[in-house]
Amino acid sequence: MLRRLATRPEPRLRAIARAAKESLLHIKGLQAARALPVPAPPPSARQAKPGPPQRTIFDAASTETLPGTLVRKEGMPPVGDAAADEAYDGLGDTHTLYADVFERNSIDGAGLKLDATVHFGKLYDNAFWDGHQMVFGDGDGEIFQRFTRSLSVIGHELAHGVTQYTAGLAYRNQAGALNESMSDVFGVLVEQYARKQSASEANWLIGEGLFTDAVQGAALRSLKAPGTAYDDDVLGKDPQPDSMDSYVRTTADNGGVHINSGIPNRAFYLVASELGGNAWEAPGHIWYGTLTSGSLPAACTFGKFARTTIATAEELFGSGSPEHDAVLKAWETVKVKV
Amino acid sequence: MKITVRRSGGIAAMTRVWSVNAVSADDKERWMPLVEACPWEEAKALSRTANQPDRFMYSIRAGQRRATLPDREVTGPWEELVESAKAEGSESRGQR
Ligand SMILES: [Zn+2]
Repeated sequence: MLRRLATRPEPRLRAIARAAKESLLHIKGLQAARALPVPAPPPSARQAKPGPPQRTIFDAASTETLPGTLVRKEGMPPVGDAAADEAYDGLGDTHTLYADVFERNSIDGAGLKLDATVHFGKLYDNAFWDGHQMVFGDGDGEIFQRFTRSLSVIGHELAHGVTQYTAGLAYRNQAGALNESMSDVFGVLVEQYARKQSASEANWLIGEGLFTDAVQGAALRSLKAPGTAYDDDVLGKDPQPDSMDSYVRTTADNGGVHINSGIPNRAFYLVASELGGNAWEAPGHIWYGTLTSGSLPAACTFGKFARTTIATAEELFGSGSPEHDAVLKAWETVKVKV
Repeated sequence: MKITVRRSGGIAAMTRVWSVNAVSADDKERWMPLVEACPWEEAKALSRTANQPDRFMYSIRAGQRRATLPDREVTGPWEELVESAKAEGSESRGQR
């Protein structure tokens, strides 16, 4: 940690100090923290090393009762149930990204225990973060297989927890689409970091491998090419727009939170693609710095978010740096006014 | 009486719609008690509660009555109605 800090450019140190300050704040609970003045971080805050994960996997046995029966605790060997073991590994990979890359100690920045329930409900076609833990269904077997099959989905759900403890973006309209986009961005980063894939090697998909063979589609969403993840006779076509020109106005899905997220998703991909190398490095730090900046309102708009990524890129890498320029260009390409 | 259950949201955000047309006397006898058992008035307050990320949202219609419920509120008589419509209704993919 100290060695890595020492090799970082000076502006990034400031951002890390700020992020540490933020995570301290959020220990006290998001709602209270938002109203409080920012205290000076104690000298130890910057050195606080994220601890190992503390994972517990439960089995709901096809009921909708949470958390269910404990099946695997931290340090226990695989239990032989694919869903339980995939959830355990996925929670570990997610914890590793935040700890290694962003120096974040679990979802809340304070070592939150990571609980997940598998086999939730009957033929349940979903996975979600309930505010405290992760929940995975088995899928109906016709369209969806079990939701633990995709590491990006596990990373997506846990990122909802990170957003809850940091920016607290409302789950509606543009703020909701940003909330969704944060989960897609950090979801793909979890997968890319675990596979050690560069931006050009990665698939940039959310939920690869979830569909059964009967479905014409690669995944739920594509950050690289929103609107192209699936095109199926029964499911229809992936409805995501890839720029503000095709922004969707709807009251369904909390104001299209899973639809318009395609726009900020593509902005992130464009930054990563422009800069090359690993997306969890400069692009990931700009997005993480933005999420934890303390300057995003709960009802954040795309414009406000874009301006904050630009300010964060400037703060971390300097005005006129390739990183700063890449962020400006990405928002221009997806036609978000800054 | 037409009964429609529309499920939107979820991490995949794919809308599914199940509908039942209860026309015959037998059908009405089967479905009316399921509909009458639901607390339609109480549901009005629930439609405005914030939903958790990636959870399903149910929009339920039965004749002139309608309710919008987050997944976790679909319990008791609502669950009975929704599960019956899923099992016995005809399915179509909804437009967003
Ligand atoms: Zn989500």
